[in-house]
Amino acid sequence: MSMKGYSGVSAELAAVDGRKRINMDKVMTGICFVLLLIIVVIPIVMIIYNAFFNEGRLEIEMFSTQMTDPKNLDAMFNTLKIAIGATVLGTIMGVFYAWLLGRSDIPAKGLMRALFNIPYMFPPFLGAMAWDMMFNGRSGYINKWLVSVFHLESMPININSVWGIIFVEVSYYFPFVFMQVVSALERMDPTLEESARIAGARQHQVIWKITLPLVKPAISAGALLILTTSLAHFGVPSILGYAKGIYTLPTRIYAVIYNSGGSFDGIRQGAALSVMLVIVVSLALILQNRILSAGSYDIIKGKSMRPTLIKLRGAKIPLFLLAIFTLVLIVIVPLVMIVLISFLKAYGLPLQFKNFTLAQYQKVFSANGTIDSIRNSLFASITAGVVCMFLGTLVAYVVQKIRPKGKEVLEVVSMLPYAIPGTVLSIGVILAWSGRIFGINLYNTIWIILVAYLARYLSFSMKTSSAALLQVHSSLEEAARVCGASHTEGLADITLPLIRPAMVSGFFLIFLPAMREVTTSILLYGPYTRTLGVQIYSLRDAGMIPQAAALATVAIGIIIVLNTIVTHVTKDRKGV
Amino acid sequence: MANVKFENITFRYGQNTVLDNFSLEVESGKIVCLVGPSGCGKTTLVRCLLGLGKPETGSITVGERCLFDAKRRINVPAEKRNIGIVFQDYAVWPHMTVLENVSYPLKKQRRPKDEIHKRAMHALEQVHMTEYANHLPNQLSGGQQQRVAIARAIVVDSDVLVMDEPITNLDAKLREEMLLEIRMIQKRLGATILYITHDQQSALQLCDKMAIMEQDGTLCQYGTDDEIILRPANRFTFEFIGVSNFLPVMPSGSGFALDCGTLFPYDGEVPPQAQKGGYELGVRPNDVIFDNTSPIRAKVDSRVFLGSEYNYFLSVGDRQIRVQQSMLDARQRGTAAEGEEVGIRFLNTRFYPAKKGGQAA
Repeated sequence: MSMKGYSGVSAELAAVDGRKRINMDKVMTGICFVLLLIIVVIPIVMIIYNAFFNEGRLEIEMFSTQMTDPKNLDAMFNTLKIAIGATVLGTIMGVFYAWLLGRSDIPAKGLMRALFNIPYMFPPFLGAMAWDMMFNGRSGYINKWLVSVFHLESMPININSVWGIIFVEVSYYFPFVFMQVVSALERMDPTLEESARIAGARQHQVIWKITLPLVKPAISAGALLILTTSLAHFGVPSILGYAKGIYTLPTRIYAVIYNSGGSFDGIRQGAALSVMLVIVVSLALILQNRILSAGSYDIIKGKSMRPTLIKLRGAKIPLFLLAIFTLVLIVIVPLVMIVLISFLKAYGLPLQFKNFTLAQYQKVFSANGTIDSIRNSLFASITAGVVCMFLGTLVAYVVQKIRPKGKEVLEVVSMLPYAIPGTVLSIGVILAWSGRIFGINLYNTIWIILVAYLARYLSFSMKTSSAALLQVHSSLEEAARVCGASHTEGLADITLPLIRPAMVSGFFLIFLPAMREVTTSILLYGPYTRTLGVQIYSLRDAGMIPQAAALATVAIGIIIVLNTIVTHVTKDRKGV
Repeated sequence: MANVKFENITFRYGQNTVLDNFSLEVESGKIVCLVGPSGCGKTTLVRCLLGLGKPETGSITVGERCLFDAKRRINVPAEKRNIGIVFQDYAVWPHMTVLENVSYPLKKQRRPKDEIHKRAMHALEQVHMTEYANHLPNQLSGGQQQRVAIARAIVVDSDVLVMDEPITNLDAKLREEMLLEIRMIQKRLGATILYITHDQQSALQLCDKMAIMEQDGTLCQYGTDDEIILRPANRFTFEFIGVSNFLPVMPSGSGFALDCGTLFPYDGEVPPQAQKGGYELGVRPNDVIFDNTSPIRAKVDSRVFLGSEYNYFLSVGDRQIRVQQSMLDARQRGTAAEGEEVGIRFLNTRFYPAKKGGQAA
């Protein structure tokens, strides 16, 4: 039977028992469309509308002024430079280390694998904070130390530059490529390489001609992730760039709105810039698609194989040390720096024991704002995680199994926020939910942050559930039907239990990044609705750097604890 | 136990008509094999029977009960049809143990707990799987999962048991065993079994009756296995059900000749419709015999001894045919050596219109 034969199955099942009671499939489809309309479509429509219309009249003027403003154009070029730089370098680095850990006989592989996932958990804006403390062009600790030791005229390294931003982004984004490629390498059929060797290819020829082309789809997917994340990223460029007047589009949008004091005009300008950012993202996606159009190869098997490892021989120890050095540089050094600064009595004092105190922690924890921010973040991330987990699974089920008319629309709409920068999404959410539609005003409440998180993270859970549903062959649910289960029972007894592990990991995939979110919340927070990330950001912004570092230390602690729990929870999956 | 009646079933996927006015009646208490090439609509037909697909026209009845009728707008939902199914890919639920899998249909019937356990264990006993009751499916081999699927299908007293290519994923030995076991189970239960396969060999081993479906979804013959082997309704059945040789026949002078590049006079009988040409003579490999007095000359390309028979490939002009010679025949008439030229004669010949580009299979 052709695949087509199975496709319309659930739709037909629905038709079969549709006459008697409410058609569950139709209800689920309806819910999907309505929720996606509210969560995703309305904010996006509001941005476009407000960028071009003012009080119901078409007004291109504001948009064209914004588009030609040299400051904005400058920001656009910076955004592109940083994104392209971070993507190219991050991809190279990711592929290199993936190969080193996946295919060579480098020592302590298991441990190294685990360690190389840490930069992924590490919030990039905290990394940026740490690097700023060390290599700030005016006051960086290591800079000052280098000047005094080597009697230099000026600060040797200036992290507050486009290259500085690229460096920090590469440090925390290369795992996107690394993780994709490592798993592709591990699932690759080793005989493909072995036959090339037998056919007379040398080792390096095998790597270039066989291995790399085969993992190209994985590289491409990872690179795409770096590109879109970097284009939309707020934290690093804002921490490193502000001081020197280096803006990217997301930080520029924030500045425009911040400077206008949150007025409607400011938000409209932000909307115009958002359209610009979306255009840049789309262009970048098209470009990326041209350069790295991913072929689909079926030779990568689902089950894991034992790949042949390449002997590094003399290069083994140097490469091992290089990997260790990389980890120390991008994880340990910033971490130590943040912890050290958090103990300082005042920022700028030398890092000596006599200047250390626990006062910053006391201050942080006695301030209401801190506790509030942790509570807000927990509430918003857990709620967003749970809601997205169910909604994403619902959308995935409708798209994959029910296949209603317009499922393509559903699919595109739910994946849209994935390509739309968090900053842009926040502006859409502000425009949509500050009283203009049905008088619903969520501005300055935690709900507006929650709505933005839902839009931003829905695609995450939808993707994982979708992948899991693909594995659940429709005959499993059909077998239940034939065994006497109703449509609902089949869903509850068979399909849901089978995708439960994917749903749980979908939850954590949302919960963890949402806990340390800054990009979206920075535009949405009100006096009592700061999130953890926003609180750290504003403490630092207000010059209370040691306090910010103390809270950052706490945040990192929370993330490590949560991550440990996650790995334990998701480790053992029954049966599936 | 009940008979199954499909009447005038039409089923389409979009523009693609899979079944067009299809009718078939399966007698009660028999194993009936539905045989046809991949993609001919066997699975679609079964899905309609199960209630997993909805035909555009026609009706389906099992025993006295109408399950589907397009005109009367009857469509019994899948869960209320009381039909057992063994899916091609087993569809054993991976998150449930073997026992939980087999108990599920009974649970859905809200039976008391101890009855569920007793009947599930009994079903497992019948497929010799009791010792695996608490295993998860991923701890079982393909053949064992197969048995679980069968146990799940027979645990409730279904009117009909449907098996959709259940043994294609097994190795040859296991396949043989499973076929025997299915036969035994049918004897014990007395159920009507509708067995779907594209493999005529296993169909022959298993069935009481066979229904042959053509590629376009039409039923071309329904009958007992020897009927189908000995009196194939058309060229499709003849070709599909075994190995076949075809040689073009044409009028030549006052008689007939086989046109294989060179003409060989053919002195056998030719039915009237084939006398004007455009027909081919079809013959099974074991119906070709060596006879050096025959004007039809062939060269032996290869000879393989298979234990109970010899298998030859012969060139007849520019055609190649396959010949099977039983040991008995080999003793009586002697064998032919590779490279030797022999005369051949045909028994049990059939004549079918020539296919375009038709060749000996």
